Amino acid sequence: MNTTIKEMNGELVAHMEGRLDTAAAAQTEKDLQPLNDCEGKNIVLDCNALEYISSSGLRLFLGVLKAAKAKGSRVFITGMNNDIRNVFAMTGFTNLFEFR
Amino acid sequence: MDAHRESLLAEFRQRQPHLVQLADEARARLDDALKQQGLQVAALEHRVKKEDSLAGKLERKGSKYHTLDDITDLLGMRIITTYTDDVDKVAAIVAQVFEVDWKESVDKRKLHELDSFGYNSLHYICRLPQGSAAPELCSLRFEIQMRTLLQHVWSVINHDTGYKSDVQIPREYLRQFNRIAGMLELIDDEFSRLRTSLSDYRRRMLSLVASGRLDEVELSVDTWHSYLETKPFERLNRRIAAVNQAEIIPASMEPYMPVLRHLGLLTLGDVQRFIEADADDAYLMAVSELAVTDLDILAESVGLQNLCFVHALKNGGGRASVTRILDLLNPNTDNTPLAEAIVRRAAALPFMQL
Repeated sequence: MNTTIKEMNGELVAHMEGRLDTAAAAQTEKDLQPLNDCEGKNIVLDCNALEYISSSGLRLFLGVLKAAKAKGSRVFITGMNNDIRNVFAMTGFTNLFEFR
Repeated sequence: MDAHRESLLAEFRQRQPHLVQLADEARARLDDALKQQGLQVAALEHRVKKEDSLAGKLERKGSKYHTLDDITDLLGMRIITTYTDDVDKVAAIVAQVFEVDWKESVDKRKLHELDSFGYNSLHYICRLPQGSAAPELCSLRFEIQMRTLLQHVWSVINHDTGYKSDVQIPREYLRQFNRIAGMLELIDDEFSRLRTSLSDYRRRMLSLVASGRLDEVELSVDTWHSYLETKPFERLNRRIAAVNQAEIIPASMEPYMPVLRHLGLLTLGDVQRFIEADADDAYLMAVSELAVTDLDILAESVGLQNLCFVHALKNGGGRASVTRILDLLNPNTDNTPLAEAIVRRAAALPFMQL
């Protein structure tokens, strides 16, 4: 699992690549830490290269959303494959995030 | 400047630190009292008069004031309410917190003749109650103005355009001001009436929800919130969560309002029947998907979401209706592939075989 964060057009974009499972969650959590300093900038979780997400990954996404909302930022998810969208639907996460 | 005015200004300079202390003390007491009564005001502001402003006042009407104590607005506070009904509530609170000098206080709202309109504000001249603070603070008087937002708007504009001006304002402009004052008074009353009507409506709806007469309750944001307090989806959510011993996290159900309307549910009675009719199938649908995963986190909306899919499919809505539901929840993405997957998986469920 590989996560990189870049600032693009005034937004913080986290590119996520690989399988976000329980084993990868701890490292990914550290990699996503800079998003906590979003200071009003919107966040984009770029899932174009994300292959899989587990419950641990969903919890990480939720953590990002909670921290961002507290700072008045919005979180967008982009590029989810059909399997991951299914996971979001199965768990009722469909309307928790904004998709692009 | 004459000696009398000079001596009043000198006395004012000495008194200024006490006025600043008094301002902080009175403000804190008012803030506390309003908070305790749960009364939200649009603004609470205060100011200690500036020396140049006092000098101007003495210049204009100095002979009227024999001592500095005759000037009651050296400290001025202003409470601006959103609704006209709240001005009297605020006044009652002020009278509880401070000693009001009733002889000097004026209700400008009552000064108008039947056919005149204009400055509408309630002015109380107050003191801190004796013994509740240092004697040098309790002896000082201050003015509290209470008015609505619209009265404040009128007053600010009136002040800005004419008050303290050396030029006599022509009658036609004064008439125009008064016409606006009359209109604002009418709007103030209408806003208050609207608030009262809405409160009555909410109370009526809540009582219908509480008494279970749900068919009489139209589905609206307010009634939906009240209905959700009865936790109508909790049982279904728990059944679904039990499959993987999942944690249920809070989620807003508000985005589902347009979905329920799309499904033709117009009253809370319709929603109640929809739950009763479709809960078992919604459970089966959720389980058929979750049981083959180890997903152990679910949003609180999972039960309602599956109910909506089941209802749409059972009523012949097919892929188009499921896509529409997803579009209402997530408008900025192509929901067709997900809708197709949901319909495909649901095809094997018993309710689709009937």
